[in-house]
Amino acid sequence: MSINNCLGHLRNLCLLLLLAGTVSDVNAQVSDSTKSDTASKAIRNSRIQKGIDPVIVRHLTQQPYISLQQMIKGNAAGLYVQEPNGEPGTEQFMYIRGLQTPLLSKKDLYAQQPAVYLDGIPMMPDNNMVFDIQPTDFNRIGPATNLLSVVEADNIESIKVLKDPAELAKLGPLAANGAIWITSKVPRPKRNDIFVNTYFGAAFNAPVTPVNAAYENSWRQPFYDKYGTLTNRLNIPTYLKDSTDASYYGPANWTDAYYKTTPVYSINAGAAVGNNPRANVRFSLNHTNSASGQDGSKFHRYGFSIVSDLKPFPWMTFTSLVTGSRLERDRDKNVRDRLAEVRYTPSLLSPLPPNKQYYQKYLNVFTAPGTGAIDNNIVNDIKALAAVNMSPIKQIKIVSQLSIAYNENIRDAFWPTFLLSGNNFTSNYFGFNQRIQLDNSISYPRRLNKDMNLEVEAGQSFRSDVQRYDYAYGYNTPSDYIKVRALKNDPDNGYPVYNFQYHYLATDKQKIAQSSLYGRLHYTYKDFLEAEALIRRDGASFIQPNLRWITEPMGNIKWDVEKSGLIKSAVLSSFVVRASYGVLGIPYNTDLYSQGPVYVTTGLTWPQDPTIPSFLGSGVAAHPYTQGWIGYGIDWQKAYKANLGVDLGFLKERLMITLDVYNNDNKNMLILLPAARELGYSGVYKNGMAINNKGLDATISFRAVQSKAVNWTSALNFNFNKNTLTALPDGLQSVIIGNRMLKVGAPADAFWVFENQGIYNSLSDIPTTSSGRRQTFYGGPLNPGDPKWRDVNGDGDINDKDKVLKGNALPKLNGGFSNDFSYKRYALNFMFHFAIGQKLLNQEISNRLNFVNNEGNADLNTVKEITYWQKDFTITDYPMYNPWSNVIPYQSGQDLFLQNASYVKLRSVSLSYDVLGKRKMGGISKFLVYVSGTNLFTISPFKNGDPELVNYLGNYTGYSQKIPKMAIVGARLSF
Amino acid sequence: MIKRFTIKDLALNVSIVLLMIFSFSCNKKLEITPEHAYGQAVAWNTMDDINSNFFAVYALFRATMATNNDYLLWGELRGGDFASVQRADLKAVIDGNLNAPFPQLDEMRDWRRFYAVINAANLFIERSPEVLKKDGRYTQALQLVDVAHMRCLRAWAYFMLVRIWGDVPLLTSSYEGQFPTVARTDKSLVLGFCEKELLSAMDYLPFYYGGSDPIQSGNYHNYDFSRFSTTIVGRLGAYGLLAHIAAWQGRYADVDVYAKFVMDYMSQGRLTYSTTADITASNGVFKGRGQVGSDNRMLLGFTLFWDHGETGTSGFGHIESWTLATPYVAKSVPDLYVPSDSITLMFNDPQDQRFRFDTVQTSVVDSTRRVVAQGKYIEPSTFFSATPMFTKIKVFTSGKTTDLFAVFGSNIMFSRMEEIALLRAEACAAIGNTTDALSILNGRRANRGEAGYDAKKDGDLIDAVFMERRRELLGEAWRWYDLVRYNKLKRTNPAFNKLIDQGGIYWPVSTAVMEANPLIKQNPYWEGK
Repeated sequence: MSINNCLGHLRNLCLLLLLAGTVSDVNAQVSDSTKSDTASKAIRNSRIQKGIDPVIVRHLTQQPYISLQQMIKGNAAGLYVQEPNGEPGTEQFMYIRGLQTPLLSKKDLYAQQPAVYLDGIPMMPDNNMVFDIQPTDFNRIGPATNLLSVVEADNIESIKVLKDPAELAKLGPLAANGAIWITSKVPRPKRNDIFVNTYFGAAFNAPVTPVNAAYENSWRQPFYDKYGTLTNRLNIPTYLKDSTDASYYGPANWTDAYYKTTPVYSINAGAAVGNNPRANVRFSLNHTNSASGQDGSKFHRYGFSIVSDLKPFPWMTFTSLVTGSRLERDRDKNVRDRLAEVRYTPSLLSPLPPNKQYYQKYLNVFTAPGTGAIDNNIVNDIKALAAVNMSPIKQIKIVSQLSIAYNENIRDAFWPTFLLSGNNFTSNYFGFNQRIQLDNSISYPRRLNKDMNLEVEAGQSFRSDVQRYDYAYGYNTPSDYIKVRALKNDPDNGYPVYNFQYHYLATDKQKIAQSSLYGRLHYTYKDFLEAEALIRRDGASFIQPNLRWITEPMGNIKWDVEKSGLIKSAVLSSFVVRASYGVLGIPYNTDLYSQGPVYVTTGLTWPQDPTIPSFLGSGVAAHPYTQGWIGYGIDWQKAYKANLGVDLGFLKERLMITLDVYNNDNKNMLILLPAARELGYSGVYKNGMAINNKGLDATISFRAVQSKAVNWTSALNFNFNKNTLTALPDGLQSVIIGNRMLKVGAPADAFWVFENQGIYNSLSDIPTTSSGRRQTFYGGPLNPGDPKWRDVNGDGDINDKDKVLKGNALPKLNGGFSNDFSYKRYALNFMFHFAIGQKLLNQEISNRLNFVNNEGNADLNTVKEITYWQKDFTITDYPMYNPWSNVIPYQSGQDLFLQNASYVKLRSVSLSYDVLGKRKMGGISKFLVYVSGTNLFTISPFKNGDPELVNYLGNYTGYSQKIPKMAIVGARLSF
Repeated sequence: MIKRFTIKDLALNVSIVLLMIFSFSCNKKLEITPEHAYGQAVAWNTMDDINSNFFAVYALFRATMATNNDYLLWGELRGGDFASVQRADLKAVIDGNLNAPFPQLDEMRDWRRFYAVINAANLFIERSPEVLKKDGRYTQALQLVDVAHMRCLRAWAYFMLVRIWGDVPLLTSSYEGQFPTVARTDKSLVLGFCEKELLSAMDYLPFYYGGSDPIQSGNYHNYDFSRFSTTIVGRLGAYGLLAHIAAWQGRYADVDVYAKFVMDYMSQGRLTYSTTADITASNGVFKGRGQVGSDNRMLLGFTLFWDHGETGTSGFGHIESWTLATPYVAKSVPDLYVPSDSITLMFNDPQDQRFRFDTVQTSVVDSTRRVVAQGKYIEPSTFFSATPMFTKIKVFTSGKTTDLFAVFGSNIMFSRMEEIALLRAEACAAIGNTTDALSILNGRRANRGEAGYDAKKDGDLIDAVFMERRRELLGEAWRWYDLVRYNKLKRTNPAFNKLIDQGGIYWPVSTAVMEANPLIKQNPYWEGK
């Protein structure tokens, strides 16, 4: 058993450390640092320092946020949260201090998510193995639920965003991308409380302008008039042809069925028993319902949480935590998402009609009794912690902690025949992710002399992750009433009796283990100087055996200038300077690289059908030609993080400023590099890419007004980040991967596009080369009506060499600005969130204008949803090219569609009234009522919608639901 | 009592901490054998490894053909009989604008997938001997057959590469883990290599697998003849390839010899000719293993077999995904159709079973209002529409004629007996052996209900042979290669001569290929086009 093994080591470790203590000085005295703090808090925070960027939790509990990402968005400098979709419970992503690795696939996005800890339990993210069998990555198969929606805001004591190497080093490689540290509420000492917190309200959306086929026709017509041939004119799409067709030409009122103000509510109730000094417990039950008000999308959460502290002996504390949640999701009815899941594309020639009467028929199919759709999306999540904190021998402190994080993801989908041109589809997904982690540490604080203290600490941890999924899908059950795969076999020949046409099965599993050891020296001089040195050894199963272990050092120094007495000022009330530098290994979230060259069974088919596992019924295995060659020597990726910070307080801390400048280098990063195609591989995995993020985090808070009755505090946080790709493997200067170019010295999130300079109106406009040849586009001649793309290298041909790197997908500047006013028992808070300096590629408009190539196309990137029928662009904003041209004038890869995506949002407003104040009434100790509004307005130069709704590649596709506005009324009661 | 802090204490503390860190680790628990991919150490140990590696080469080859229906882009569309209104990308290929910037065409210009086949075959040749020592079930005799098999697949891949790109790099080692950049080798050397390989493999190739052929008898890779039918490369397939390699080089005397071998020994290889009904039936030649009843029809080709779950729902690998429309599938206009002019030109025999007009009717009605009497290749009701539908190959799922569930089950046929016979007729005509050419041609024509060759109506014998190939093999990805051979023989079309002389008959290579290997230069014809 792994645990036993490690425990064995731990025993040795303890002995050695005891020995060390004995040898140097057993009699040294130390103050009992645990006395002042509650023991459980000390455990749960034992691995992090106090102070850095705590999110103001009070504001969260008055907002209908359902995910961790929403709670911390805009609340901490250096953290950027983007919600790519307003549909509640869908995946959301975080970036701490910039891009950690270029986003070439969704796996890269998963790989750079920060680690999230709940009271020290490292939460377990979902697997990324499913992308191996998905031809598209719009949504992952399975419930595709945001696993960080399990946290109930009401149970949170504090949230900290960790980004300083001084803190991350203690957490190890898992936290190499930064970490979020959540601490649960514990009972207040000497009190028993019963609490009920609840809100209800509604999700709603700003109205859109629905349009019908007449509108569509009217903007398309000029193209036909100007450029269309007779054939083109005869060939207009069927749904636009017949102006008497009420489904397309009737009133455009689909919005009545699509946008609906939908209730949202939440209740969290429980008790906190804290009046026994030897044992306390807090438990709560919660239920939350959220919605987007669009397409019937809803989110439900049912959860519980129990935290308890026992103190069996004065020198020992036992803490346990169990929290569980069940998440359910009613998903959108997007055609694109469904077809991607079904992997079978029927005719797309007739989009959903904009008329409500006809659209409703489509909606009714989902809910038809007996024959309707099944769309169950369930996540069961459970986390448990058992921790012992003891000092059996005076000063020595031993902390031992076992964490378990487990979630299972279930999806059953059935789409009746109507939705799939007469074929139905059924599928079942079950996946689980399990993490067990054991942490042990022993520390020995010693007073060296009257000014100096030295704490010696050693620790060890072992992490074991298991991820697995099973997926089966098939088509054409005997009827829409039968929604599972028919299993009855013909006894004579073994074939299924039912005409169940086709089914696929897929399953995958991976195990990852990581073992860590660290030693730490913490030195303090008087009360103003702290120095810390930490060295760790980490070994992980995802690295090949000969490179498995790495050593990572960290050093940290903190000088309280004010306390040291160096500066004396009436204005300055605090002044701390911090500096830290540390190295951390960046883990792989796959075991694919752990054994050198591999043989795979997936990806040996054409890309659209990746699950076909055989030839003539015999299983196949070959090197991963499509995925890329994995060789020996794939090493740890490493993060080198340096941070210099200053904490300033003025006027008795009335004005507080925290500034951090950082320089983070991710080196030896792995990338799939193109390699000679003549070996058959799409590329070869190589370490050696490096990416630098440097920037500034600032948090400024100012109590503008402070008096007994009136208070006003203003707080601003922002991050300015500059991202640069600093190296590629083999000394390459640039590399083209798909639609992206990575170039040393350029941002890793730059778009690679043609520069649009207008239109060629006549033949004479089109430049010719010195040899008299007309300018070409990839060898084909340009004609009047074609775009004028800049010929960067001047060779008379527009091709890849004329594409330029422009803009960046992640913001240069982002942050939040919040204000708290209070007057007597009233409190008002509002908060802005802003992201500035990023661009998006407007694929939605590109798709619209490229109607000639997209009409009837089976490309899922161009599927028309019901939301296609809205007025969201102005045709005159774009040049009028010949849409029939072979050069595809409206292709998205040009700066015509590269648009400014900066935004400022009023994220929340909340007004509360403390009914009782300090009084008590009939056993009620606290009664607070509030009204809140969320996501009330957005200011942005972007015209087509919310610029935040872009996918990870920076493309605005228009397929996402809008982030809804919400208004709620809530109450918080304590007895 | 307060003790003074000494450096000694610090040093001791530090060293103990360091000692602990470096001396303990749970290293053993980090030895986890991944389950979703397996490593070098276990890839070549048992007979089962041999089986999966063996069939993987076929799977890769099949993927090479099927991806984006590239086998049609390479062989059928350019200058061929199909037209497209809806799909600008397909139209570009039909018109020979092979450099057109459609993302869908990128794969067509990239030869990587062929080299994946070649690499996997090289690897099999290099590593299969290891299994001989480790697993007694793998015998030397079987290994020799397998290696010969791999050499055929490799030669086949190279032949296809040369047909498409002309000069291509010749790699005969897997270079496991290395990525050398190799320059193009002259096409005649590559084809010379292919021919040599096939000839030297020949002695180890049985006529058929999983039966009682003296070279290979009993189950082959776990299965008997009923599993393979004639779909994996046997001796006749290798001769068929040799014939095509020779034909591509214009060595028609050799073509005659090689093709004659196939025709002479077809019954040994258990192959037969097909009737028109066999060819056009949904459960006929183009379904799965290419069997009609127990008759085998596939000389060379790739199965995408519904019954084994090897037909994807995307439709790729099946011409039906482009050629069918309503009422067969929910698509108003097919992506590819055969213009009625081409049909009229091709099917000019009044008794042709594949497609003919009712000659009795034409005498009474206006000639433009002809009645289709027999429409096996073209859906009769669509002939008079703007987009006549090509229905020769129309296999739904496991061989149904129609199905709402538009998943197709057709195979990718490279060669069948008719094809090889007409190739021999072409060779005989080219070398002046008119007697044999005529007898083969007329034999094939009779089999389709046509009258015998008539110089007045059919013109030159070579023309007639190529016209018969055009009719017979429509939709089987031969048209472009036939055009090249025809024009090399005749040299009567100046525009085509220019293509031949300037290398325009070859495809441009993708930028991905050139970026990754600086020794590869664009085919000069496509430079700046």
